[in-house]
Amino acid sequence: MIANKSFITTALASPQTKAAEKVSSRNAFIAGLRACGALTMAAVPFGMVCGAAAKAAGFDFHQAFALSWLVFAGSSQIVASQMFASGAPAWVIVVTGIVVNLRFMMYSAALAPHMKGLTPVRRWLAAYLLTDQAFAVTLARAAEGRPGTESFYFGVSAGLWLFWQLASLAGIVLGALIPPIWSMDFVVALTFIAVLAPVLKDRSMAVAAACGAVAAVALDLPLKLNLIAAAFIGIAAGMLTSRLWKR
Amino acid sequence: METLVEWGIIIALGLGTFATRLSFLALFAKAEPPGWMRRALQYVPPAVLAAIIAPLLFAQRAGALPAPEMERVIAALLAFAVAYRTRSTLLTVVAGMAALWGLQALME
Repeated sequence: MIANKSFITTALASPQTKAAEKVSSRNAFIAGLRACGALTMAAVPFGMVCGAAAKAAGFDFHQAFALSWLVFAGSSQIVASQMFASGAPAWVIVVTGIVVNLRFMMYSAALAPHMKGLTPVRRWLAAYLLTDQAFAVTLARAAEGRPGTESFYFGVSAGLWLFWQLASLAGIVLGALIPPIWSMDFVVALTFIAVLAPVLKDRSMAVAAACGAVAAVALDLPLKLNLIAAAFIGIAAGMLTSRLWKR
Repeated sequence: METLVEWGIIIALGLGTFATRLSFLALFAKAEPPGWMRRALQYVPPAVLAAIIAPLLFAQRAGALPAPEMERVIAALLAFAVAYRTRSTLLTVVAGMAALWGLQALME
């Protein structure tokens, strides 16, 4: 609704208000860049681990970096690297990675009302840059009713993208130098725990997580189909729980 | 031939991931996700994240159920408490790594 209104006012705006809007959208972009500061502090170690994991899995430099900028989604990059290293079939790696990233469909739908004013090219760019962190801070800011949602989103995303690529490069180049005894792979678990913990307040969410976790450990399926199966078991368990415990 | 498989994985995963991001922003911008899809998608993050985390806390053993690695399980529980209270990824990672290194040093 808010995005719609700003679209109409932009279309009808006089030159002066257009200039004013340019300034405010620049300010929102800069506010976005600032907001990503705290997010990059957490994204950098994760990015480095993702880069190092790709290289350790057997991808060469160009492939490992392409994984970072073509996929640009840490969790699926890690999963793809782990599965590639363990010799999973290519199609299972691709399907598992996409299942891990299905959450972007949810973000895409939630973000769309705020991006109605964008040209198609910018909308594709916004889609390419979509991440958990950019989505979370942008929606939180939009909920406060502050203007310039699109510019803020691009500011956060541009900063995150740049630091993610630099961290990945550092991980790809330097990863082999880090001794295994440091257990840096544990950063992956910790990063996901940070994302998971706040979500578990809801009972059906907690059931989905518990069933996903148990299935991932206990299942021993051929072709490394464990993660896909665990994901769908978790999703089904969550849906069933919310249906049975309807308030 | 070998590198072709690797590039195939990277490009297919890249395009598939881009499609999930484009979905309601551009591809079906005029559509709303149907109710069943909304209900299912909200469980993707907890189910997938937990399914990735859990095996990282267990040692794989051939021919038997995986056994928990106690240092990792304890460090993960502590990190969970930090994450729940602070909602900070950075603090969670710092606390979890410190706990793991401390426990590993103790058990040596």
